[in-house]
Amino acid sequence: MEKRRLPEPFMEFEDLRQGLTAEMVTPFKQHVSDLLHAHDLIYEQKRDALAAAAVGSLPYPPISAAARELLQSGVLCVLGEGAAPYHPRYVAPDYARILHEGSPFLELKPAQTLFDATTSLLTAYKYFPAGGLPVFIGRLDELLEPYIDTVSPETARQVLKSFWLLVDRLNPSGFVHADLGPAASKTGALLLDVDRELGTITNLTLRYDPQHTPQEFALQAISNALGVTKPYFLNHPAMAADWGEDYVIASCYNALPLKGGIYTLVRLNLKRAAEMADDDPERFLDETLPEIGKNWTEVIASRARYIIEDVRWFEDNFWIEEGLLDKHKFSAYAGVFGLAEAVNHFTRTDAHPEASYGHDKAANRLAERITTRIHEVLEDNPVASCEGTDGKACYHAQVGITSDLDTTPATRVPSGEEPELYEHILTEAPTHKWINGGISTILEFDQTAAQNPAAVLDIIQGAFKAGIRNLSIGSANSEFVRVTGYLIRRADLEAHKAEKALRYSSAALGSGVMENHPNHLHRIPRKV
Amino acid sequence: MNDPLGLVNHILNKSFVDGPGNRAVIFMQGCNFRCLYCHNPYTIQYCNACGLCVETCPQHALTLGKDKIFWNEDICLECDECIRTCPSSSSPRTHSYTPEALWEQISHIGPFITGVSVSGGEPSLQVAFLAQFFQLVKENSTLTTLIETNGFAGPQAYTAMLPWLDMAMLDLKCSHPRKHEKLTGQPLDSVLESMRFFAAQGKLQQVQQVIVPGFTDSVEDMQRTAKLLAGVDPEIRLRLLRFRPHGANGPSAEWQSPTDEHMDTLVETARGCGLKEVERSL
Repeated sequence: MEKRRLPEPFMEFEDLRQGLTAEMVTPFKQHVSDLLHAHDLIYEQKRDALAAAAVGSLPYPPISAAARELLQSGVLCVLGEGAAPYHPRYVAPDYARILHEGSPFLELKPAQTLFDATTSLLTAYKYFPAGGLPVFIGRLDELLEPYIDTVSPETARQVLKSFWLLVDRLNPSGFVHADLGPAASKTGALLLDVDRELGTITNLTLRYDPQHTPQEFALQAISNALGVTKPYFLNHPAMAADWGEDYVIASCYNALPLKGGIYTLVRLNLKRAAEMADDDPERFLDETLPEIGKNWTEVIASRARYIIEDVRWFEDNFWIEEGLLDKHKFSAYAGVFGLAEAVNHFTRTDAHPEASYGHDKAANRLAERITTRIHEVLEDNPVASCEGTDGKACYHAQVGITSDLDTTPATRVPSGEEPELYEHILTEAPTHKWINGGISTILEFDQTAAQNPAAVLDIIQGAFKAGIRNLSIGSANSEFVRVTGYLIRRADLEAHKAEKALRYSSAALGSGVMENHPNHLHRIPRKV
Repeated sequence: MNDPLGLVNHILNKSFVDGPGNRAVIFMQGCNFRCLYCHNPYTIQYCNACGLCVETCPQHALTLGKDKIFWNEDICLECDECIRTCPSSSSPRTHSYTPEALWEQISHIGPFITGVSVSGGEPSLQVAFLAQFFQLVKENSTLTTLIETNGFAGPQAYTAMLPWLDMAMLDLKCSHPRKHEKLTGQPLDSVLESMRFFAAQGKLQQVQQVIVPGFTDSVEDMQRTAKLLAGVDPEIRLRLLRFRPHGANGPSAEWQSPTDEHMDTLVETARGCGLKEVERSL
């Protein structure tokens, strides 16, 4: 039987059932050698890639032939998580507990001052137990506000500035994410202030609640966003209605319970799935999606099971023993992307090329039906290990990766094809309804907006009323570009093109995405 | 039914520069000024349905009716050939609205905006219509209402709409009487009366002035303007808008745009004359 090559981002030598086979030893060695000799990777990046290669030599957790076929054909994708997941993909530790009680394992005492608190947090990040990068670094204003008055205001700003600098320099990635709000605080305002000054790419979300976030704090955040493309504006009331107050935003814009985690992210390529239903959207909704749903959740369950039962991640783990994470709050993501292409597959015809997502009522309605149907499919296919989300996989809108060539991230309208501002919002808002595990819409404004941040707040509030869960706000001419869910600096794009090593691991990913999707640099700016 | 009709040139469903927050802006047709630098002269005159533009429209989007031109928006490319053809430089591309119909259109975007601004042209030429429209806005929403006016109509023109009007933005074209008349074709007196009227009502949201070479761009010009405003109320917010030749017609298309440095000088000058809140456009 002819050897079938796995689609990217699988590594060339991977084999789902057998792991590394004799005939793949040569490409495996070549892969390792290429990594060792790479000039555009720094040591840490080489080490991480070598570890991934080692894991890639193992077989994948057992799954059915049908599920394997969907992975091999690229309909489902495990995003380079690797054959043998030996840790969860994301976790959201209860850092407050470390600050209040200290940590025996980390040999930290309860924090007494702002110095203690920031030192303890930086220490905890170092030992983050998922993937080497602390993709969630805390609801920082809540965490640090009790200590902010232990030093003078001037010292507080200096400490927070040093802390924020170290967060970036020690954890150089656009997937490192902190949360602020919804209440205003000295710490929140100071962090926005130093973030604006330092211009790092550490990700940031403001959990915005019109009832509890003072306008002044919101306007400060908007001014920042128009300068440095962050923070995200999260519809806190909508999220709290699904999650309660104890949820966090991690990595790109991923929601999960505080003290919880996400075992794995298995994503569904909606474009490829739509093609399986020929030209019949009803068949897609009634047959294809339910059928895929079984295999999709099967893959998710197989990977969660590996972490729980095979590597027994929850045992002998200080994060569990010290009550910083709770197994009962863990879940897994079922992610979707390429909604625009799936819809257009069914609605665009030679006679009606304009009947596309974002520009046609029937197309938009189909998008809403697809996202709703997927919610139903996930409800119909429980995954017992997803205790943190009532035994169902958590629905997530996935932002895409470098190797995606012909798909649009998540449920977005393709960059450069966005309709008029309100229409854009009203197109994507219905797709946010069920996707409570993370989703966002990107809006970019022209430079006039900086003179009237209150006007941007009006649009944010209108978007939230329409059902948008999360907005990325930015300026068309900013140095900071929202690639898909994380940020990249234009200077890093240029450096990557010149094949220079980059401090930010995410910058290399982002550069690849931009090369394949140059329109992300040409989103339609909203002239105001 | 005797609802007055409003003649509208166009509607912007978002604007960040026509009052507080994000606003819908309704540009009314018709103006009583003839500013030398007017950037939208097609909003000045009313179409008299002479029909000349019907022949020149390359899209055949215009049709001559008994006493008006019918405009097929769906096929119009907005090439402006009709405006170029018009002996009055007017536009057949306008819409007549009842107050209810206009509110119906605006109400759809209500969740995204703070308020509604009417501009022009010169909205004070259609005050009866606006009074009813503003009343509908205030009775049916929490949106704010703003009129962007040249003030020439005088205080009495605004009294009917006053209960439903939150704010006025007054365009003070020039504070020197003779130069004002030269620049706009109309005297200054009633403009200042309107300004004082709105200020006394607590509804003067902002005075704005385009910085135009030879009329408003000298330090002396700005001192006169700022002292005038400060004499009414030092809290009056003054916004200076940079003249731009792009879009201007006639000799003004050759005028120079003030530099950043000069705009900053004028801002400082105005502040030096006692105005507390002075800003400028980009």
